[in-house]
Amino acid sequence: MKKNDIVLIAVILAATIACLLGMRIWQKNNTKVDATAVVTIDGNVYGEYSLSEDLEEKIEFSDGSFNVLTIKEGYAQVSEASCPDQICVHHNHIRYQGETIVCLPNKLVVEIHGGEDNGIDGSTY
Amino acid sequence: MKTKRIAFLGLFVALAFVLSYIEFMLPLNIGIPGAKIGIANLAVMVTLYTVGEKNAIALSIIRVVLVGLTFGNISMMMYSLAGAALSLFAMLIAKRIGKFSMTGVSVLGGVFHNVGQIIVAMLVLETKSLFYYLPFLIIVGTITGVVIGIVSSLITTRVKKIMTF
Amino acid sequence: MKIRKYLSVIVPGLLFTALIAGIILYRSQTGPASLNRYTATFLDVFDTRTEIVGFAKSKDEFAKNAQLIKDELIRYNKLYDIYNDYPGVNNIKTINDNAGIKPVKVDPDIISLIEFSIDTYYETDGAVNIALGSVLSLWHKERMIGMDDPDRAKLPDDDMLREAALHTDITDIVIDKENSTVFLKDPDMSLDVGSTGKGYAVQRVLEYAREKGLDNILLSLGGNISCIGTRIDGTCFRLGIQNPDMDSDEQYVEMVDINDGECVVSSGDYQRYYYVDGVRYCHIIDPETLYPADGFASVSIITDDSGLADSYSTALYTMILEDGLEFVGKRDNVEAMWIMHDGTKKYSEGFIEKYVKK
Repeated sequence: MKKNDIVLIAVILAATIACLLGMRIWQKNNTKVDATAVVTIDGNVYGEYSLSEDLEEKIEFSDGSFNVLTIKEGYAQVSEASCPDQICVHHNHIRYQGETIVCLPNKLVVEIHGGEDNGIDGSTY
Repeated sequence: MKTKRIAFLGLFVALAFVLSYIEFMLPLNIGIPGAKIGIANLAVMVTLYTVGEKNAIALSIIRVVLVGLTFGNISMMMYSLAGAALSLFAMLIAKRIGKFSMTGVSVLGGVFHNVGQIIVAMLVLETKSLFYYLPFLIIVGTITGVVIGIVSSLITTRVKKIMTF
Repeated sequence: MKIRKYLSVIVPGLLFTALIAGIILYRSQTGPASLNRYTATFLDVFDTRTEIVGFAKSKDEFAKNAQLIKDELIRYNKLYDIYNDYPGVNNIKTINDNAGIKPVKVDPDIISLIEFSIDTYYETDGAVNIALGSVLSLWHKERMIGMDDPDRAKLPDDDMLREAALHTDITDIVIDKENSTVFLKDPDMSLDVGSTGKGYAVQRVLEYAREKGLDNILLSLGGNISCIGTRIDGTCFRLGIQNPDMDSDEQYVEMVDINDGECVVSSGDYQRYYYVDGVRYCHIIDPETLYPADGFASVSIITDDSGLADSYSTALYTMILEDGLEFVGKRDNVEAMWIMHDGTKKYSEGFIEKYVKK
């Protein structure tokens, strides 16, 4: 190995590390790596909640009905609801991009935006 | 001494093929199509420093086509070809500048092999996120580049001792 | 001469540049990969959730295509509704309301659904019967009460069920195609197209969308999922089959890749049900026993007609496994998966090979 080789390797490694650091910083500043649960009611956005923070939010309607959105350990679920069918409560908890929980009686949709993709276009239920 | 050169080249195509096969079986799965640590570059390096540039180019392309047809598919062949071409380009320039030993040339070859593959993969798959693998691949390329540079310089001196082209 | 000297350096450089240029050129010519994936969700048809997945250059372009599908679904929803009236529309409810009174003039799309459903009745040996409305409504009523207030949950009166079952003769549906009318001869009978209407509508809407030139579309109507074409990159649409165990961490029990024109649907006891004295009663009623079927946790069907998929999954849910396997085995292009109450899975012969991709 010549001295030049060592310089070359050092330069490559230094550039790589600089590149890595740059990417980290860029990623932090520019992209929402976090997945969020977006709640819409009858098509209108009600709120957006990060999946990385545990939370319990009671969403109340003027007629007294309600849904409770719970975020725990990176998963979102409807833990309680006033609707008679309770389909939203029985639904599995969700975390992948595009997954949804729907409460038809309350016209409420919880949808995951961002985050990991599970590679699925839809599902039966 | 044309016969000797052809025989040598044939031998090294076979060697490159075997090295590619070994690489193919290595469980280095980092989720990038066609990404390799690049030990087949050993054959290219030795050829480059013994029989010369044109033969190294020929060997490199023959290897990519053979391996692609045997183990891979068209898209994998395309990634490999891009990697091989850019890597050769970098190595030839580095060799001509004359400031680096075989280790330096081999490191550049390893690094640019991965750079070329990633660029093509990003274009074909249209996923910018592959870019994030690049630093990792550059480090892998540098390490194998050093090892292959040292080994191929050992082989080259011995080959040169017993053969003249 | 100078070029000669550098030729061996230039060749690999050129090769690489040519490769990159080739790919970019190919991409710009074919173009589709630059289309974005969009989804639209709405809750206002067929009393369920509708999802459309599509690919388009812009959100507006996708919204236009989605609207085309939605408008058709709304039209079918009005026609096939059994609970609601719509001004100026004669629908299935209108036919039911006039049972034993007079023939109702209806849209040809209603007549074709009823004819399709009658065919299905004979094909499934009566397991799918749209004339079962009188029985289903008794269950529907009790399920609604029971879900609302578990303390008041009870089964429908058995005598009333037996009495209602006397008014489920599918041959009492009188279709007059010439005048485009439908008449129910038996005044106590009513139609319930729950097991065929949605699927049939999806099939027709997709045929319509195909005629309009739409491609690469996935339409899910309450879990009845059909597609036109593939994803934009040419790979198959991939779908999850819902795990009937809703408490599980695994939402899907299987992933299936469906081809152009194919459809997946699951029937199960895990979503619409109610409890009476701790026993779960689901919404799928076996026409023979007049009570909810409970043989499986779920049955999923993949076939190339959404209308058939819907009714086949309902029919298989009420059959025993052996009969179901035979039913599927006799038909080309139909595959099924059964999930038992203990979670074990049974597959028809070609299901895994054809659809399950790991």
